[in-house]
Amino acid sequence: MASKDDLDHRDEDEVCPVCKSSRYLNPNMRFLINPECYHKMCESCVDRIFSSGPSNCPVAGCRKTLRKNKFRAQTFEDIGVEREVDIRRRVMHILNRREEEFDSKRAYDDFLEQREEMIANLVSRIDVAKTEAQLQKYASENMQSIRTNQALEEQEASSFQARMTQEQEEARLRRQLAREQLENERREIQASREDMLNRLAAGSSADAAAIAREGHKVLLKKSSARRSEEDRIRQKQAALRSEMKRGAGAGELAGPSDSGLIKGLRKIKTPEPEKPYDPFMGYVPEKRDYYTLQSSYPSTYLDRIRNDTRMAAGGYDLKEYYSRTMLEAFAGLGCFIGEEVSRRDAGAEVKPAATAGAAMAAGGE
Amino acid sequence: MIEDDIYRTSSQFRLWSYTEASLKELRAKTNAIASERARTAIRRAPSAQPSATSSAAGTPQPGSDGETKKTEEKAKEIDCLTPEEELVFVRYYCEKTLELGETYKPPLPTMVRATAIQYLRRFYLTNSPMTHHPKSIMACALFLATKTDNYYMSLRQFAEGIPGNTTAEEVISPEFLIMQGLRFTFDVRHPFRGLEGGIMELSAIAQGQAPPAPHLPNQSPQQLLQQIQSIAPPPVACSSIADRIARAHGTTRETLKSAAQMTDAYFLYTPSQIWLSAFLLADRPLAEFYLDTKLGGPLTQTTSTDQSDLQNPLYELRVKLLNVLTECSALLNSYTPLSSDPDQMKGLKRIAKKLFYCQNPEGKGTKRDSAQSQAVAAAAATDSGQVTSESESERLAKKRKLELEQKLKTNGSDIFGPELATGRPKE
Repeated sequence: MASKDDLDHRDEDEVCPVCKSSRYLNPNMRFLINPECYHKMCESCVDRIFSSGPSNCPVAGCRKTLRKNKFRAQTFEDIGVEREVDIRRRVMHILNRREEEFDSKRAYDDFLEQREEMIANLVSRIDVAKTEAQLQKYASENMQSIRTNQALEEQEASSFQARMTQEQEEARLRRQLAREQLENERREIQASREDMLNRLAAGSSADAAAIAREGHKVLLKKSSARRSEEDRIRQKQAALRSEMKRGAGAGELAGPSDSGLIKGLRKIKTPEPEKPYDPFMGYVPEKRDYYTLQSSYPSTYLDRIRNDTRMAAGGYDLKEYYSRTMLEAFAGLGCFIGEEVSRRDAGAEVKPAATAGAAMAAGGE
Repeated sequence: MIEDDIYRTSSQFRLWSYTEASLKELRAKTNAIASERARTAIRRAPSAQPSATSSAAGTPQPGSDGETKKTEEKAKEIDCLTPEEELVFVRYYCEKTLELGETYKPPLPTMVRATAIQYLRRFYLTNSPMTHHPKSIMACALFLATKTDNYYMSLRQFAEGIPGNTTAEEVISPEFLIMQGLRFTFDVRHPFRGLEGGIMELSAIAQGQAPPAPHLPNQSPQQLLQQIQSIAPPPVACSSIADRIARAHGTTRETLKSAAQMTDAYFLYTPSQIWLSAFLLADRPLAEFYLDTKLGGPLTQTTSTDQSDLQNPLYELRVKLLNVLTECSALLNSYTPLSSDPDQMKGLKRIAKKLFYCQNPEGKGTKRDSAQSQAVAAAAATDSGQVTSESESERLAKKRKLELEQKLKTNGSDIFGPELATGRPKE
């Protein structure tokens, strides 16, 4: 309260630097600023000066051209803070890498430091041109990732919002339920009590104790039944909640590409393009090294078969014969058994540690 | 070379290819095991007389003095066959297989007979004639070959074709034993079809229709035609190039039918090497020309100074191949049929006589049922790459005998065991 009074009090003698009208005379006066130069002026001045298009700042010594649509209400009293927050927002908007995009924590920290440095530069007007150029360059190069991260941020914000509202809604429901329960309970107790009284009034005096005991028992039973019912409802709600949470956590997006400004970004692993399927694993079925298969060979007795429709009708193709004979003519021409078998035997001498056991088992000795 | 890789997947290359040394070693080992077993078996069987094991009809008959010598024979060391003698003996039966195939009407195809011969040869790598007489194995191997080579014959029909009164049962009985000896690989790669392919392509060259070889794209049909016409003249004058090819074809085929089957060529070389070696024997200039078209450059010129030639990947292959083909053709050339040589026939008679005395009396009993009982063990043995059929069957025979003796001992003299208990004890 004190601070509010303070604020009000100070506002009393606030004066627009342009038209010199004070709040004392015009209590509805609002002050606006433009982020170009951060000079404060009242709403009526803004209307007066900038309604007819962009114009120079009316503050003496400031020649910045301002536009009316950029004017807005001041958030912070200190103009320096206002400006820093603006700059920070702009820079953060561009350099919006996320922690999971970096190789290590260290790289992410370096990035944060770099960002702070740039903000500080802009705020304290050191190397403004250079920093701005860097920012521009980065923004144009990483349009895609910036947009993705913005979308992510928005999504997170909105999901957070949604969760908050959902939680509030749940709490409200819980409260309502509890109220209703309490009400029900009260009503039931009331009803049973009335019932008991009625019965007591109707019955003889001997039954009185029994009826009272019975009524108490009924009451207990009812309350325990209600409690179990409540438990069930609560469990159901918990299950529902966890399910919703799981559904919310499902959407994740893939990482960005590296850029010149920021170091230590995680490389995006693009999966290797799948090779075309090769059923023979490098083996070319029709390829031969010793001969080229022809579609026909001169042979007097094979010609007869070729021209015989009875052979063709059965599905016999002379080419099968050709390919088989030619293959057998050369299969193994380059296999030098003397060398290869002795090498194989030598290899077998070393190997049989595993097979020795099997051989022994077979021999049964 | 992709064709070579295809061949390397065959069972012939994986299981039935040997170097000369390993082949010799394997035969010596088989012989050692078999003769050891034959000796112990003959000593153990007092009543087993050599005469009881009826000698084969095809083998030369031994002298009648076998009966009288049997008592002192047991006392002295039994003279077993050497690996070389076994080999000659098996070869004789390979030739008999060819003849046997001829007796059928129509004669069995060359391919079937060749397969049967290879089955015999493969079987006797790990089995000895002292254990299983080739006489019985031969017919069954031929019958097996008709089945594996898609030349259908009923067993009855087959048995009738065999000279002498051999029953179908006798033919089929060692079948499983053979399959086991073959390690259940029935695929035999013959050089015959390869020869047809080569001749086919040579004819195409002679007619100027041949495409260039895959590794020598600068060949042209016209150029090849010119070359084939300008090669050195054949040993026998021919009217035309086609005639020359046909003649070489015939000669090669004969060599493949006989020499290639009767020697160890199938174990030592690949089918394409065998037919090309035989082709070299038949018409050397033509075969060399053909190889040159495939491998580029003159085959015989091994000491090339040409730089481009040395860099050619085919050059190394060419040098190696020339050596192998020369060896193989020497092997094929060294063959002479046993029946045409009286000296060899005399040697063969001596071997048959010797075998008559050292034949394992227990080997005869290896019938189908007992062979089947070995199947599991044999399959395991083939898996480990070790062929132990000789020692395996010996072990099983011993085991059976021991079990029988044990049974006799425990059950008294009655082979069917003691009397059954008649009455049950009452409570």
